[in-house]
Amino acid sequence: MAAPPDDDVLWARGLHYSYDGSPALQGITLGVRPEEIVSVSGPRGSGKSTLLGCLSGRLVPTEGEVWFDGVPLHSLGRASRERLRRDRFGWIGSAPELVPELTAWENAALPLLLTGARQRTARAAAYEWLDRLDIGDCARRRPADLLQSQRQRVAIARALAPGPTVLFADEPTAPLHQLDRMQALRTLTSAARSHGITVVLTSPEPAPAETDDSTGTSLVDRCVPLVDGRRTPTAPRPVTEAEGSAACSLSA
Amino acid sequence: MLALRLVRGARPWTLLRRLSVACAIAVAGFLLLSALGYGLAHPRDSGDASVRLLWCLVPLAAAAQFAAAVARTETPPRQPSALDTAGVGAARLPLLAAGSTAVTGAFGSALALLVFLQLRGGSGRLPFDGAAADVLGGDRPLPAAAVLTLLCLTPAVAAGASALAVRSRARTGSRTTEAARAAAMSGLPWGAALTATGITVVALARRSAPVKGGDAALLPLPGTVDGSPPAVLGGWLLAAVGLVLAGPGLAHLCGRLISLGRPGALRLLSGRVLQQEAVRVGRPLGVLCAVASGALAAAELYGTAPDGGARAFGPLTALGAALVVCCATASALTAATACRAERAPVTATLLRLGAPRGLLRGAAALRGAVLLAVLAPVTWGVGVLAALPLHQAVG
Repeated sequence: MAAPPDDDVLWARGLHYSYDGSPALQGITLGVRPEEIVSVSGPRGSGKSTLLGCLSGRLVPTEGEVWFDGVPLHSLGRASRERLRRDRFGWIGSAPELVPELTAWENAALPLLLTGARQRTARAAAYEWLDRLDIGDCARRRPADLLQSQRQRVAIARALAPGPTVLFADEPTAPLHQLDRMQALRTLTSAARSHGITVVLTSPEPAPAETDDSTGTSLVDRCVPLVDGRRTPTAPRPVTEAEGSAACSLSA
Repeated sequence: MLALRLVRGARPWTLLRRLSVACAIAVAGFLLLSALGYGLAHPRDSGDASVRLLWCLVPLAAAAQFAAAVARTETPPRQPSALDTAGVGAARLPLLAAGSTAVTGAFGSALALLVFLQLRGGSGRLPFDGAAADVLGGDRPLPAAAVLTLLCLTPAVAAGASALAVRSRARTGSRTTEAARAAAMSGLPWGAALTATGITVVALARRSAPVKGGDAALLPLPGTVDGSPPAVLGGWLLAAVGLVLAGPGLAHLCGRLISLGRPGALRLLSGRVLQQEAVRVGRPLGVLCAVASGALAAAELYGTAPDGGARAFGPLTALGAALVVCCATASALTAATACRAERAPVTATLLRLGAPRGLLRGAAALRGAVLLAVLAPVTWGVGVLAALPLHQAVG
């Protein structure tokens, strides 16, 4: 078993995964450096979500290795994997997936409460993030009374409040309109940069969602195109030269 | 027929549920047929036979309620199912539910008829042939129309109850927290008032009615209609309805009690879920409480009476009582299972967040414990209070 490179916080080699025999990942190798924001892109069914699941320890690859900070995720037991996920990882899904019975702040504070934090601490952290995401005034409302864009922000606050080392976002802007999409993605990436959080996100298409139109710079550091469960390093993209390089440029 | 095909291709667990509904309907049908048999055997005693037939309404209602609870579990309201995509939407779903309950009920009724005919005698060398011929009027010809009507009654009522349950479910769909709270709490004052009225009616009926010795003081089960029984029965019925109405409110209060103050993850998840699901879990729990308090009152009354127990509890009464208790318990369990199945996505989300399974189990256990701690004393209190006036009269 080869040791992972020292400078990668998350490292995967030769990942294979199949759902009841249907192959989803077919040998993916990927390294993510600390505080890097990586976007995994590809069409529906290309294995993005499965890759994220394997990297975050939600799925166990049928073949291959996943290392996080020197810990082999692929060989951990279920309980320790759950604990690691709870303590070090954050997750944002393509749907908000909030607990309908809890208010917005309770939802945002839930991961902290689950780790055994005191109610006061969890509440303060939840309120802080809700305020930062401009939904502080919705804190006492339930998910059913919120707009979809507000719900997704609550989900983002929930993922960021415990201060994770790595944040996984599976098409975090899928349920939003174009304007909200841009804003949510910008909030997410700027929060991650200011707090030194590593982010692995997925998006259906590489260019439009990740380029900050106002500044022309890219929100993400690196693009990993995926097709049919394989990495395509030289993926042909139907975008212009300038847009393509902007989307995937290694801007610091 | 779609309902038949769905039953044929169902999974074992679903089939088992359907089978238990069929059994419940079979027992209810058998009790109805037994009342008919009693009527045939005692043509002079038509009043007594009618009272027996009326008593059959209780197991009938219990079987229908169970059928409705099962039908509710088989139609997922929130996510569009494969049936919805195929064209069986919210409008046709009640019809489908009624159809599949009717199919199950027809099976149950056929079973009841077979057992009835067997016990009545005349089928040959099978075991228990004619074992109860004298009670069931074995020597007289069976009126086919009456048998058919009675056998169709239970499946028809059960099918109607299923359709109504599924329809009201499709309408409510996902409701907000405020609506859930309002729906749960609105029944509580009515329930409390009705229960109190019922107990008072029992007490007053007992006081005003003349006590004709030890025997008459006992409620005949099923017995004559003279004297106090109608008023006492009415009082018990009121108290039972009150408990059913108060069930959701009590469950909601339990949820609030759990998440009181500054709850951690365990109490928060446990309490809020109970508050949200108060109506769906509370109604069958209320029925269960009503049945339990009724059983308690009956036990208080007949258990202590000299020679009363043997007289009051014949095999048919015992069968009916067992059916009612089983149906109430099964309905409550079915509702709890349905809630769990419907909350599966939320549970998956919680697990994804890293919630330990032990915590979720702990939350469910806490809910159960608090519900038991609140509902058991209420049930006991109502049961004892309902039996108290009668008890004193006997003593």
